[in-house]
Amino acid sequence: MSSNWLETNTFHYAQFQDIGHLVDRKEQKGLKISLCLPTLNEEKTIAKEIVIMKSELMTRYPLLDEIIVIDSGSADRTVEIAAEFGADVYAADKILPDLEKYRGKGENLWKALYVTQGDIIVYLDADIKNIHHRFAYGLLGPLLTNDTVKYSKAFYDRPIATSKDEIRPTGGGRVTELVIRPLFSLFFPELTQILQPLSGEYAGFRELFEKVPFPIGYGIETSLILDIYEQWGLDVIAQVDLDKRVHRNQDTRALGKMAFVIMETFLKRLERLGHIKLKKELLLKMIQYNLVGNDYEADILDWKALERPPMIDIPEYLEKFKPR
Amino acid sequence: MEPHLKLIPEFIDIVKSLQDTIITNVVLIGQTPAPTFREEKRTAVFLERLTDYQVDECTTDGYGNPIGIIRGSSARKPPIFVVAHLDTHHNSENELNYEVGSNFIKGPGLTDNSLGVAVLASLPIIFRKLDLKFKSDIVLAGVIQSIGNGNLKGIRHLLKTWSTPIRGVVCVEGVEIGRLNYYSAGMIRIEIECRIGTADGWERAFRPNAILVLNEVINQVLELKLPQRPRSRVIFGKITGGFKHGIIAYDAKLGLEIQSDSDQMVKSIYRDISDIVEGTGHEYGVEMNLKTISNVNAVKLNYNHPLVKTAGKIIHALDIKPVSDHSESELSIFLSKQIPAVTLGITSGENYHLDTAAVEIEPIFKGIAQVVATIMAIDTGVCDEQQLA
Repeated sequence: MSSNWLETNTFHYAQFQDIGHLVDRKEQKGLKISLCLPTLNEEKTIAKEIVIMKSELMTRYPLLDEIIVIDSGSADRTVEIAAEFGADVYAADKILPDLEKYRGKGENLWKALYVTQGDIIVYLDADIKNIHHRFAYGLLGPLLTNDTVKYSKAFYDRPIATSKDEIRPTGGGRVTELVIRPLFSLFFPELTQILQPLSGEYAGFRELFEKVPFPIGYGIETSLILDIYEQWGLDVIAQVDLDKRVHRNQDTRALGKMAFVIMETFLKRLERLGHIKLKKELLLKMIQYNLVGNDYEADILDWKALERPPMIDIPEYLEKFKPR
Repeated sequence: MEPHLKLIPEFIDIVKSLQDTIITNVVLIGQTPAPTFREEKRTAVFLERLTDYQVDECTTDGYGNPIGIIRGSSARKPPIFVVAHLDTHHNSENELNYEVGSNFIKGPGLTDNSLGVAVLASLPIIFRKLDLKFKSDIVLAGVIQSIGNGNLKGIRHLLKTWSTPIRGVVCVEGVEIGRLNYYSAGMIRIEIECRIGTADGWERAFRPNAILVLNEVINQVLELKLPQRPRSRVIFGKITGGFKHGIIAYDAKLGLEIQSDSDQMVKSIYRDISDIVEGTGHEYGVEMNLKTISNVNAVKLNYNHPLVKTAGKIIHALDIKPVSDHSESELSIFLSKQIPAVTLGITSGENYHLDTAAVEIEPIFKGIAQVVATIMAIDTGVCDEQQLA
């Protein structure tokens, strides 16, 4: 296990507060940067995310070259509001329309690779209540200032200073601590150093993203870590403390479904990488029970383990990005 | 027509081009909690914004009021103050959540006075965009400990320690656009507390009820004969008390404000209420306390003071009719020190002091243009020769 990764590749956003310096680095390297916000019914938060990013990281400092919203078919005013406040808005279904249509965060992130122009893509969830431009420049910091780092991931709520004897949790959520961390410990102990592997905010170079598959749903965060780790190693990954993130709290049942999808993704990856051999197909049904009156009724999630191939395998993408 | 009036339509358009910056400041400042006496987090964000905009001097005074100074071209002209109070009625110390919509912003503390503070923080970049330079230094003061028990301590301290004369002042409040405050009524804000004292067993059932005792105080205050001239009134603003529905309340608290155009009348009404409280406590055999939490003296600019006339013309130029009323706020403290000052509102809003407080975005640009034009007018000398009333 690479014991000093945690020390060398863990950053705090405050280390990158000199945004002018980041812009200099970006220009020296001749890079373009895209911000992608995947949405589904985010009318309450989308405007302030766009406004703050545009004001601080496009108008004041030309760090971002574009802000795009990829929407999964919102029923509220997300799309209109995002366009009013100046984002380039795409309906996920209209991107690469000849492909079969899927719905999910992973699908939006994957399709973002086709519509964005950037050499670096920053992915932020669109439901961040306490949005601040540090979410973007913090993730970009390691990518622009360290030539080895190609993928950076957020973590939150790490105490700034504690006494030597005090033990504090690292702020991972329930699914992280009950599912991901045990699995990483068993199979990829090095990856346990990633404090919050399920955080929804990350940034990376296109040259990595285009070469890995994207699961359509919840498994995207886990699969990105595993695939990047397997292909390029731990040293290309960094993690950045972005302080606090206020988000929607999910109930245990919803987290159960999330855990199911993540475990399915993980097991499939393990098999593909040759770590295990599954003797029979996984049953892709998450079965939970509700008490209805005096009877227990099964609540079954039929899961389709869909995954997009590496974008670089899509002919339209190759055509569009051929000059690169 | 005065030059600043002619420029207003152009100002509105240019300020509008900074919409993203202004909304960003509203969200970043507004979502940072600032209950009275606990404004440190918002102070830091406010100063950070001023520093980001490369304001010449950014500091806090000895009391903790954050201040930014934009240096003027003339060392001989006294500074112009632009002021907004940092604290809000919203008591949470957790990060607040604002929503931005097509033409509105919504969130707790927005109208009073997160929007005002955000405008203050945006002024350096607005001045730059408008290519405005001033002869006077412009002092952007976000003052702490203003409302409620704060009793305007922040601004009182700032002015006590500010050593040079002040040329004129614009106080900025989030709502309502068109307000033109240039006088303060005399005011004493008091809290009356009734405590019955806890009792054991059956005895409790025969104790007086603190809520009913305060009700008696209210009835007696309502019987006071208040004069029409000088205009005087008592406002009952807050009441709390009790424990649960089926238990006699053993404590209750009443908050009220005495307002009058005459300081003497305020004092006289205060004495009457004090007598009522003492008498009621004696009659019911309960512990009654009367505490003064805030007070300001009656003070005003004349209606024909050039600053008032100019601000009125500027508001008219926005196609809005100015509305004048008294305001007991930072304005009172400046006026009491013979410093010409007005309070202006930025936009229209609703649910002022609720979690659902909301403001319209579009009028904000007019509201800011009005503030800028008023600062320009002060810089050209409208306050320089007239004395206060």
